[in-house]
Amino acid sequence: MENRKVRIALTKGRIEDKAVGILEKIGFDVTDLRNKGRRLILNIPNEDIEVVLAKAADVITYVEHGVCDLGVVGEDTIMEHGGKFCELADLNFGKCKFALAVKKGTDFFAGYGVKTVATKYPKVTRNYFEKQGIDVDIVKIEGSVELAPLVGLADGIVDIVETGTTLKENGLEVQTDVAPISARLIVNTVSLKLKQERILELVNLIKGVIE
Amino acid sequence: MKSNEIRIKRKNDWLTPEGTRDLLFEECAAKREISESVTRLFENYGYSEVITPGLEFFDVFNGYTRQFPQETLYKLVDGKNRLMVLRPDSTLPIARLASTRLSDEELPLKLFYNQNIFMVNPKDSGRDDEISQCGIEILGGKSGAADFEALVLAAKSLAACDEDYRIEIGDCGIFTELMADFECEPELAVNTRHWIETKNLPMLNSVYSSDKIAEEDKVFAEAFKALPRLFGGIEVLEEAKKYLHGENLEQALTRLEKLCRDLSDIIPEEKIRVDLGLLSSKNYYTGVIFRGYVEGYGQPALSGGRYDRLLGTFGRGAGAVGFAMNVEAVARVLLKKDKTRFERKPDVIVWSENLALGLKHCGDLIAEGLNVVNSVLECPKCTKKYAKEHNIKRVDVVDKDGNVLSEEV
Repeated sequence: MENRKVRIALTKGRIEDKAVGILEKIGFDVTDLRNKGRRLILNIPNEDIEVVLAKAADVITYVEHGVCDLGVVGEDTIMEHGGKFCELADLNFGKCKFALAVKKGTDFFAGYGVKTVATKYPKVTRNYFEKQGIDVDIVKIEGSVELAPLVGLADGIVDIVETGTTLKENGLEVQTDVAPISARLIVNTVSLKLKQERILELVNLIKGVIE
Repeated sequence: MKSNEIRIKRKNDWLTPEGTRDLLFEECAAKREISESVTRLFENYGYSEVITPGLEFFDVFNGYTRQFPQETLYKLVDGKNRLMVLRPDSTLPIARLASTRLSDEELPLKLFYNQNIFMVNPKDSGRDDEISQCGIEILGGKSGAADFEALVLAAKSLAACDEDYRIEIGDCGIFTELMADFECEPELAVNTRHWIETKNLPMLNSVYSSDKIAEEDKVFAEAFKALPRLFGGIEVLEEAKKYLHGENLEQALTRLEKLCRDLSDIIPEEKIRVDLGLLSSKNYYTGVIFRGYVEGYGQPALSGGRYDRLLGTFGRGAGAVGFAMNVEAVARVLLKKDKTRFERKPDVIVWSENLALGLKHCGDLIAEGLNVVNSVLECPKCTKKYAKEHNIKRVDVVDKDGNVLSEEV
């Protein structure tokens, strides 16, 4: 049987920092992870674990294809990207929400005209409005979506809201919440079965140190 | 510029569509070796081969309990403007067949197939849109006996290709039974199924947290939360008894336990896994379901189960069980492990002055059990050069009278 190390993919950036903190709390030596330079595959000394750093959607791809066994990724990416894997734990950090926001004082749902929504997350947006049974036009925006309603491209936006400061500074406000978000621990279905003992041990260690 | 030098680059002339690929040489050999050893196994156990058309009516895959999401189907229209699909599954066409051309055949029927299925995967996901499958279906018969036979053949199919396999058994009837007694909105039922299937513990824990659930529903909530955790060795079935009560559920557990115990008489016990959270997105399964895993492939390499209501929707009321193995997935794993196993090298290259005598000599060598290349090159010298370059160890030169000069290179 192929004896590669257990591989964990972490979403680069804020999720990575918190996740490294969790690994440290477990008692793993994370010096390599803290001084990573430009390296993308990092070792945890004295453990059969390897850490891979990737962009959020890629974490899902690597886990889904089974080249990484575990992954830490935001629920926002899971909702937008989808995929076949097991979602074993809520890591209780990276908490925020998807929300529908509009220009202050306007009502997105008023009138019978078809509304336009700008978003970086077309699938999340489509699913939400499908559930409500509302027809909307969705425009995919790559950068700051807050601009779209201000310049008149859209009636509202669906985006991640953490503190609401960006919305406020641009004269927008939340009309309604769409879904809560937090960081999740995902596991490849086959790894979970073939390396069950080691993976569940790791999952339990991780669960043990999160609040 | 001469006209044959002008080459208009139309990129779709050059590529295969996403999710498909050309298979070359050892890839073909690996795939063929696997499908041959698996279909031989099916034949040895008395199964009869069927081939169903690659094109089917959309309606076959869009009925009650057999709904394939339409965004996953390759669709086209025929000359009469009817909607057709490239077959996304072989079980439904076989169920159709059993109810039509085979309707006078007595049950049980044991059938096998070796054919491709097609599905539209999300863009750039790197998954295959065309998948070659070998599989069986046992239509009718005593369900316990048929389930066991299907499981044994599934394990043997995997073992015939790779010793590093696991077979995992569950029963999606358990979930159906629980849901039948638990009153909730249809949407929650669908979501719960999905959460259990993907082992989404955070969602299950939050939706079914004990402070949100009415007292009389607590037993269901506890069971839904437990199902995705109940996987591992056969001992899991013992623990499951804490969460699953009532005659039907207890019977299901006893049935599973018997299947696993019987199976462990045939294959090593450590290869047998249980997962009570195993559910299938194919909604025609009704009872025992199972999957096969091989190290090195991130998705199940084999899947199957019991479907007792599917045949009825085509008009022939009978239970059935079957499975399909993803031949190419297994082939890729084996190629990664040891490519040389599938490399085919000719033993001899034959050059001859007299073409008829040359080919006759080739025939003689083949009769001896050798693999031969008939050289169509200009001269013996270039044939030897070719042999060296292609690692062919022996060159036979046949003169015009049929005399053979054999040389090792």
